[in-house]
Amino acid sequence: METVNFVLGGLGGQGILFMTKILAQAALDKGINVMGAETHGMAQRGGSVVSHLRLGDVESSLVGAGRAHFLLSLEESEAYRNLPFLAKGGQLYANAGDNSFPKSEVKRYLDGIGAIYRAVPAGRIAMELEAPMSANLALLGYFSAFGQGPLSQEELRKTVDMVSPDRFKEINLRVFDAGFQKGREEA
Amino acid sequence: MREEILLGNGAIALGLMEGGCQVLTSYPGTPSSEILPEFVRLMKLEGVDAYTEWSTNEKVAVDNAFAAAVSGKRAACCMKQVGLNVAADSLMSAAYMGTTGGLVIVSCDDPGPHSSQTEQDTRLMARLAKVPVLDPSNPREARQMAKLAMELSERFKIPVILRPAIRVCHARQNLSWEPISGEGKRASFEKDPLRWAATPRFRFILHGELNKKLREIAGLFERLEAHNFHNLDPGKSYSLGIVASGVPYSVVKDILEEEGRGDVPLLKIGTPYPFPESLARAFMSQCEKVLVIEETDTVIEYFLREKERVLGRLSGHVPSEGELVPQVVHRVLEGAFKEMGLDPLGPGGDGQVMELVKGLDLPVRRPTLCPGCPHRAAFFAIRKGRAKTIFTSDIGCYTLGLNLGAVDTCLDMGAAITMASGFYHAFRQDGIDQSIVATIGDSTFYHSGTAGLLNAVYNDARFVLVILDNQITAMTGMQPTPGLGIRADGTQGRAISLERVVKGCGIEFVEVVDPYDIKAMGKVLKEAEAHVKDPQGGIAVIISRHPCIIAYREEAIAERKSVTVTEDCDQCNLCIERFECPALYVDDKLGRTAVNQAICTGCGVCLQVCPRDAIVEV
Repeated sequence: METVNFVLGGLGGQGILFMTKILAQAALDKGINVMGAETHGMAQRGGSVVSHLRLGDVESSLVGAGRAHFLLSLEESEAYRNLPFLAKGGQLYANAGDNSFPKSEVKRYLDGIGAIYRAVPAGRIAMELEAPMSANLALLGYFSAFGQGPLSQEELRKTVDMVSPDRFKEINLRVFDAGFQKGREEA
Repeated sequence: MREEILLGNGAIALGLMEGGCQVLTSYPGTPSSEILPEFVRLMKLEGVDAYTEWSTNEKVAVDNAFAAAVSGKRAACCMKQVGLNVAADSLMSAAYMGTTGGLVIVSCDDPGPHSSQTEQDTRLMARLAKVPVLDPSNPREARQMAKLAMELSERFKIPVILRPAIRVCHARQNLSWEPISGEGKRASFEKDPLRWAATPRFRFILHGELNKKLREIAGLFERLEAHNFHNLDPGKSYSLGIVASGVPYSVVKDILEEEGRGDVPLLKIGTPYPFPESLARAFMSQCEKVLVIEETDTVIEYFLREKERVLGRLSGHVPSEGELVPQVVHRVLEGAFKEMGLDPLGPGGDGQVMELVKGLDLPVRRPTLCPGCPHRAAFFAIRKGRAKTIFTSDIGCYTLGLNLGAVDTCLDMGAAITMASGFYHAFRQDGIDQSIVATIGDSTFYHSGTAGLLNAVYNDARFVLVILDNQITAMTGMQPTPGLGIRADGTQGRAISLERVVKGCGIEFVEVVDPYDIKAMGKVLKEAEAHVKDPQGGIAVIISRHPCIIAYREEAIAERKSVTVTEDCDQCNLCIERFECPALYVDDKLGRTAVNQAICTGCGVCLQVCPRDAIVEV
């Protein structure tokens, strides 16, 4: 399999690592080797957090500039901050208001490199389900609706079910499903 | 067989366990902190019986592991790179004395730096101490090397350092393993004072023995094909070869692979010291020039001969600070390829997007204390009315008190106290009574607070010391402290009383206060300052005690208070700038401060902060 590179961005406390874990575990369960890089320590106190995930046979955990097939961001500014990772023809999924995203100069750049970009109000979806800290699952569910990359919606959902702690299992799946529904309306 | 996606630190724990590690000691520090907890988890999973401890500091950790290693056991200790500075005294001497069992020291480097005071390179410490060092490129290799390090150590009776960098420690990779038996040796210590208590005359002999071991290990490393290898075609000559080690090796390897650059040979060095010199010489003999890519200092580059044929940091081809992330390595390769007249490398990201992102003026995301953090409340009281006070502080979450104007210095572990006494005497010499408030966390105080406090009392320094006791080592991921008495494996040890330790250091003024009560904290601070100024007084210690909001969510908030901001808010921004709770923000539409209910913890401390009393309980 050709290597598939993900970069996931957001702020400390938004659950970037959990989102990465689901993608990684789903890939492994499919027999794909995984390698990733995480941010720990001081940056977790509300700073910018970025996580790299590479599916396939690689030596290094880091995605190079212009090499990410998928950029998933839990925050609009962090999506922009991580833009240099996005490959030509790559795909960007961001937790953002769908009308204002992306900024016009960014839109020009993304169109120029043939990128696909989609915004979903993942935070609002999570909030409506009274799980304000679960925007990560809404974004992941939304992403899964487009059938992009080596992991299917069923595979990702099964992994959410499997890796969520018992007391969060039900709500996590509901938020994931709500994100998926939103995506399916657009796909 | 089991398979898991392990953190690099989990892979190291696994390798140590597979290497028969019976004793594991550690002091937490990013990026090393997860090795011991992962080891404990694997112990339970595999049914392996080992002794583990969170030691009070890194020197203590090395000494404890060393004693096990001279009892014939296999032992290891883990720390971050600056922790090895604390343990340097032990390391240098242990190298001479050697072991009877195994001793692996895992010292995790932090190129960047992401979460450290320096970018220092542990490989140089290994060279200084004259002990072998292994430099893994990813979690898989870190696991193999942890096991190898233990075997080498026991075979040659010498401490061995494993030096993973942060991109190994905090990388994740799927690894599988067979059941681990966990059988170990029984402790036996053979008295040999000429070795274990050697005087300088015998140290000379031990030094000779150490040098002999290193020569033998160097010979072994020349043939260690699993970790030292190259892909030269015999008989062919190349204009440029690359020599790489550690994390940069994996980055270079991926780039050359993706770009299909078989024309550029690569030598991987997994054992930078003792250096496999013949292997390197053979590689260089087929290359006109070699480019050295290593983190973070020059080690391999120093060892290579014929410097006029070596490109690296000394020649200005590789940056001398910062992490060698793929885009930096790409740039380095690009430059060297061009200089040597090789085909250019494919594009490595484009400059246009960097400019675009720079132009967007994105918000700077500086780390801040969590909503509900007791340190914030303490700092607010400490800072109030003390613009001219010098605030010495220390290493932990509370270093972020600098955002609140309540931290002026942060040198190293324990320096809140030693710099406070140093400042006091420096000003006192000029007849000035400089007021000083030092802040240090509970874990840091246990780590290296007492020696400095004893010194300060003995030499009659005067300052207020606030021990921020949140009953956890928070920054590194919630490890227990001696104050709690919970041990590394979750069992109960004996809790140490902070009050009694402080009194035992000769402090007469010791007050315990809950910082959530800002008024009470302010009052105690004033009393403390009076004691400091009193000729018959001395150093005053305040123990600011409130549990960490992350570690003890329930206990930390006794009664949840729902807060809001009224129209009385005149946007003075004091609460935003001096209190900096992430749950308070300026609502541009309302034209005043507002509360983000999604992250507000209901601690209610902000109710005491607003000068116009516009923050109220609902």
